[in-house]
Amino acid sequence: MMRNPKLLLAIPAIALIFVFMILPITNIFEMSFRTPGQSEPFGDDYTMMHYDRILGDAYYWGVLGRSLLTAGVVTLLCLIVSYPIAWHMSKAKGLKAVFLYACIASPLMTGVLVRNFGWMIAAALNGPLNETLMALGLIERPLRMLFTQGLVILALVHVFVPFMVLPINNALRNISPTLIEAASSMGATRREVFRDIILPLSFPGIYPGMILVYVLAVAAYVTPALLGGQMVSYMPTLIIGELTGTFQWPFGSALAIVLSLSTILVVGVFTALTARLMEWSKA
Amino acid sequence: MATVEVRDLRKRYQDFLALDGVSLRAESGQLVTLLGPSGCGKSTTLRCLAGFLEANGGEITVDGESILGVPANRRGFGVVFQNYALFPHMTVAENIGYGLKIQKLPKAEIDTRVHDAMKLVRLDGLATRLPREISGGQQQRVALARALVLKPKLLLDEPLANLDARLRDEVRWLIRDLQQQSGITAFYVTHDQSEAMAMSNMVAVMKAGRVAQFATPREIYQKPTERYVADFTGEANFITCSSVTPLAEGRYAITAAGATLELNGVPGITGPAELLLRPEALALTTPEAGTFQGTVSKSAFLGAALRFEITLADGSVLKLTPEPNHPVEAGQKVGIAIDQSHAWLMPEVAP
Repeated sequence: MMRNPKLLLAIPAIALIFVFMILPITNIFEMSFRTPGQSEPFGDDYTMMHYDRILGDAYYWGVLGRSLLTAGVVTLLCLIVSYPIAWHMSKAKGLKAVFLYACIASPLMTGVLVRNFGWMIAAALNGPLNETLMALGLIERPLRMLFTQGLVILALVHVFVPFMVLPINNALRNISPTLIEAASSMGATRREVFRDIILPLSFPGIYPGMILVYVLAVAAYVTPALLGGQMVSYMPTLIIGELTGTFQWPFGSALAIVLSLSTILVVGVFTALTARLMEWSKA
Repeated sequence: MATVEVRDLRKRYQDFLALDGVSLRAESGQLVTLLGPSGCGKSTTLRCLAGFLEANGGEITVDGESILGVPANRRGFGVVFQNYALFPHMTVAENIGYGLKIQKLPKAEIDTRVHDAMKLVRLDGLATRLPREISGGQQQRVALARALVLKPKLLLDEPLANLDARLRDEVRWLIRDLQQQSGITAFYVTHDQSEAMAMSNMVAVMKAGRVAQFATPREIYQKPTERYVADFTGEANFITCSSVTPLAEGRYAITAAGATLELNGVPGITGPAELLLRPEALALTTPEAGTFQGTVSKSAFLGAALRFEITLADGSVLKLTPEPNHPVEAGQKVGIAIDQSHAWLMPEVAP
């Protein structure tokens, strides 16, 4: 029977992963090769036609490109916004730190629909954002923000900031202050200390933050669907449309597989490019 | 190269006075040790010198010019930290060359100077290793080379504290040799009196944010100004004097534990005084020949020496470590001869 009792403990986790990850993904993978059905979601035979259709159509390449690119922009903006916040947090102690953690986590405490409807109200033509900008005299006429790519990016950055801040904060806290003192005693200015010491040593936090935000942003569905409207399509909206709107399960599955593989490719290339930095900076 | 002077330095943390008027002076090329227990302000003094901390009062000058307004990165103090503070993402050579790279020196010159520095601290062949791939002693030498390569003034904060005893001895002499060869002015923080004695030109014994005594190692040990200094610099016996008569400046006639002596001491003693007797100033003899008479209360064989505690007639206890070949039992009556040139009189309360 079971020789190693440690394996017994792993069974729940393995079962969970098997049922909720391996099975569904295998299922989707298999589904993506099915022929389209007539009166049911999929047919009985296997075919490559869905992949041929996706790869042969510039429209899908465009949507895929927009999805991957938008996620990239969201990730970079998140990084730029989050780094100073994480820096500030890493210096905080006691109650101030608790308060900052709560502030950072606040976007996650609102339900996804409520948060996005909030953005719709805020960004409406006569909404508070436009009114404030006009009151400040920065614009003369209300800006059309709703159903633009810009608003989608803004809303995604807003909700993903915690995923970037927390790991970077963690990495910054692990940098010994004496390293900074050592560098400055050797003549480094604050800028040089940041460039040569702090930035590379915080990479063990930057890396997971970027991966996490990128993957989440690529897969985001509700925010693009609500705030992007009908005009700008992203892969997740397209996939959900095929699966629940037109009931083309095989084609929707093929789109999902293409999106997954592309994301894995991007993450893989990023990891490979930064592997050396990662290896060196893990203290 | 540089004379560094600290005058009346003060530093306050909220309601804790860390430095209460510290004054020191390192002549060019001298190694000055700050000696004291933890919390006495020695590291705080060093951090003020380095520019990591801002003093609340007082003055620090290098060659007569104030450096209080100069930021840490332009003060020119190389710092060796207790935990080494090597950059974990840089190789040994990059660590050592970092300061030179900041100065934007040509790559060839950086390479030569890094190579020379590594040779000096015997790190040849480790240039491309990361700090985590080398031993503690090697890391310590990287930290030293990194501070020395800029030919600055040197600040060392308990640099040997994390090394084992054998390495500590080796690195101690390495530091002293390098410092003397290059004529660098250095401040050295430690709580180990033997390190302080062996390495320094001058020792500042610190006590609660002040300098209790600032003098040569020999003076600190043989002519301490107060009991705190005597205690901190090595083993010491104290005997309270029953009478003190000044003979000349720094010369006294005293009575202590039934004996009358003439000896040197801290100038200007007026109140009660204590006699300081280091164990090596004492020798065992017959009761009749001794200056003091007493009973052996404890005796132990240490190999290279014996160790006795002797209770005198007035109840004071003397510790001494005579040669190992005079077996003396506990309870035996003995006499103690004093080398009067090594006896020293101190006031009971520091002037």
